[in-house]
Order: sequence, then C-alpha cells, then structure tokens
Amino acid sequence: MTDLLELFVQAAAKFGLNYGFLLDAYQRGSLVNGAITTIALCAFTIVGSLLAGLALAAMLTSGRPWFARPARVFIEVTRNTPTLVQLYCAFLVLNMLLTQAVGAANPLTPFAWVVIVISLHKGAFHAEALRAGIEAVPRVTLEAASSLAFSRRQLLWNVQLPLAMRFALPSLINNLIDLVKMTAVASAIAVGDITYASIMIWTQSDNVLELMILLLAFFGLLSFVVNCVGRALEAKLRMPGYGH
Amino acid sequence: MAIDSPVSLPLGWPRRHPGKLVLLAAVLLWLVFGAPKSPVFAALREWSPALAAGFGQNILISLLAIAIGSVLGLLVGALAVSPLWITRLPAKIWVQVFRNAPWLVLIYFTTYVFPFELHIGKSWISFPDWVKVTLGLALPASANVAEIFRGAIGSIPSTQWEAARSLAFTRAQIFRSIILPQCFKRMLPPWMNLYAVITMGTALASLVGVHDLIDTAQIASNTVNRTGFTVLIYFSVLALFFAYCYPISRFTQFLERRYAFS
Repeated sequence: MTDLLELFVQAAAKFGLNYGFLLDAYQRGSLVNGAITTIALCAFTIVGSLLAGLALAAMLTSGRPWFARPARVFIEVTRNTPTLVQLYCAFLVLNMLLTQAVGAANPLTPFAWVVIVISLHKGAFHAEALRAGIEAVPRVTLEAASSLAFSRRQLLWNVQLPLAMRFALPSLINNLIDLVKMTAVASAIAVGDITYASIMIWTQSDNVLELMILLLAFFGLLSFVVNCVGRALEAKLRMPGYGH
Repeated sequence: MAIDSPVSLPLGWPRRHPGKLVLLAAVLLWLVFGAPKSPVFAALREWSPALAAGFGQNILISLLAIAIGSVLGLLVGALAVSPLWITRLPAKIWVQVFRNAPWLVLIYFTTYVFPFELHIGKSWISFPDWVKVTLGLALPASANVAEIFRGAIGSIPSTQWEAARSLAFTRAQIFRSIILPQCFKRMLPPWMNLYAVITMGTALASLVGVHDLIDTAQIASNTVNRTGFTVLIYFSVLALFFAYCYPISRFTQFLERRYAFS
C-alpha cells in the first residue's frame, strides 16, 4: 500500500505536483477520516432526504389543503433560499436556542444538523419530482384500483408510489448527485468532512492545487457511484412500454 | 346538465389572495408602528444599510457570474454541438468536470489558486476576492449554460433540419436563421432558473472572506450579541434571499407554462 503511494507521489512530482503529505501518517489519517465522514454524511442524508421527500409528496398530493398548503410553503421557501443560510439558521439560531433551553444536554451535534438541513432541503426537491411522478400516473389506473376497493393509503402505497418512483427516478438521481456535492457545505460549521480536512492541511502547508485535484477526483468518484447505482436501478425497474 | 353550470372566470389578483394581502398589511403595520419600540428592531434598523450593502455585493457577484458564464457557456455549447469530435471532446470534458464539482470546492479553488495581484505591463493590478468568487461561480454556470444550449438544440425536431436542408440552406444558415431563434426562447426558463441558483450560490462567498450579506449578518450578530437579534437577523437574511429568488422562480414557471405548447 505504502509502496503504491510512494510510486504515486514520485510520479506526481514529475508533473510538479507535491503529494508528499500523503506519506505523512497524520495528514493521511485526517484525510481518510474526512473521506469516511463525507461518505457517512452522504449515506445518512440520502436516506433522510428520500424519507422527507416521500412525506412532503404525500402531503402535497393528499388533496387536503391543511396538509398541502404547509408543504407547499415549506417547499417554496426551501427551494428559494441558499442552503448555507438555512444551515446557519438551523445551527447558529435553532441550536443556540436549544442549548439555552436544555443546557449542555443538547443532543444534536453539528453532524446531525447538517444531516437534518440537507435532508429537508433535498427532500423538497425530491417531493417536487415525486409529485410530478404521482400526477403522471394514468387516471384509468387509479380508477381501476379504486374499483377494486383499495383505500386511499393502499392506493398511494401500492399503486401510485411504485409507478411514480419509476417516473421520477431520473430526477431523483439528479437530486442525489446534487446532494453529494452539497455535503461540502458541512465544512462551514466545522464538521470534519473531506473539504474541512483539506482546508486544515492547506492552511499548514500551502499545497492547494494538489488537494483541489484530490477533492475534485473524490467528489467525481462519489457522483459517479451514485450515477451508476441510479442507472442500474433505472434498468432494473424499467417498465415495458415506457422510456427506451 | 353541464350547460347551466356557471362559467367561473379566474379572479383578478387582488381578489384571488385576500388572506395573504391582509396578512402582509398587518405585518407592515406592525413593523411601522409596533416594532420600533423594541431594542432588537432598533438594532436591526441600525444595521440595515450594512445589510443592504452586503446584499448588493451578492447581487453584483451573481450578475457578473451569470454574464461571464453565459458567454463562456455559449462558446462551450457551440463546441459541444459541432460535428467534429476533436472540438466536441474538450467541451464534453469541460461540462463534465464543472458540473460534477461542488461549487464550494470550485470557489475555494479560484480563491486560493489565482494570484492576489496581476502583473500587466509595469503596473500591478489587485485581484480582489469577490472577483475570484465571481469566476468560481462562472465556471459551473458556463457548464450549465452549455448543457442548456445543447438541450435546446436537441429539442428542435430533426425534421426541421431535413426540411431546411432540402431547401438548400447551408449548415450555418440553418443554425442562424432557423434553429437559434427557436433555441433562445426555449433556453430562457432554464437560464433564469440557473440565475436564481447562482444567486443562492453567492451565499458561499462569505466562507472565503468576501463582505457579503451573510458575513455582515455574522458581524452584526456578534457585535450586538443578543439572542433575539441573532434570531431576527439570520431569518432576515433568509427572507431577503427568498424575496429576491422567489419572483424569479415564479416568472420562470410562468414562462414555462406559456411556452409549453407553442
């Protein structure tokens, strides 16, 4: 492993790039920890955002104004304000109020706040995609299902959602790739993700360009993985007669 | 019988939103008459010129970024639709790299990699941080504009190309007088959407030390140091961004509906 790293460092040195910090155990360790934190962040937020999106889409299409209105207002506010400001509103304001209320027993770490904020933010985008998918389900299918005495919840869960999922899958995957890139914002409130680890390293040893290339490659790889999983899902869930 | 059902015309806008208008009037009245007595609002009023200047910086960055991004993006987009693979390849790489990189990373990239000063002739010209942030936002903007352009050209039915070619138009003529005029109309909604997203992206400028709205809000909340003021100022920042981006998004939806079937 270390032999490979040394080979890589020597090869990069020929192009004028100094990757010497990878051989330093401490700096390599902090980078690897940062990468693991980013991956954990992505995993939690992907699940959280899908759940939030599902709940919001169910509220939007419920047909009851008392559910649909608040969901619509929440989605519009979320889509039209920057994530960073939302993160600050949550972490600097709500977290402060929470700490004042319960003291040091505040259970929410910065990591948890990032997961909550990005989940809700991307949940709003998922909800729009899912709503469009739910509305694209043909009316005759719904009529057929309700003539078989499906209740409203069964209709949503067994008929509308499986179809809506397939209609919405391309935009959901698009949102998830966006979500992966968005996790870099976590560094703003000192969550030790890979961006934060890189900032810590380059403030000490002025090697911004090398770290930037590493960061771009890492995020490129993560988006690529999400994209591949999405493509595989699309192929697996493909409906005969739709798409190509 | 369906005949005697009354034809319901959509109401004009002041009658369509009575609840919202009453709420807005109530909030405005309260802000004018009720709020000035509390010290928290007095502090907010004291800080509002600084906040406005900060937001002006955000808007300046966003306008410049979309302008540079559009020019660059149209060039890259033009390369991407050319029939030669040797020009298509660099355009494709450009789009892939800058669409898949996090914006924050690109902003750090331009901030730290570009020099502090430029040496042109004998004079040194300073290269301020906000210009670097503008360039950092213009890069992903250009990649997105290129994709929007390519998508718009792809959305024109290929029969139009064939019809034009059978009328002995050359490729350049088809582009100039048939395809492009239709493309700009189709590009407008996604382009405006992109502008709103870039405006929201300017919030990241505060992380590299540009004195924008969020930076001003942080300074204000640390200076005044009151719980109520901190709550108020961060939610005002949220409200300011919303007030700027929401009309753009509504107008985009309106354009999309209008162009949907034409």
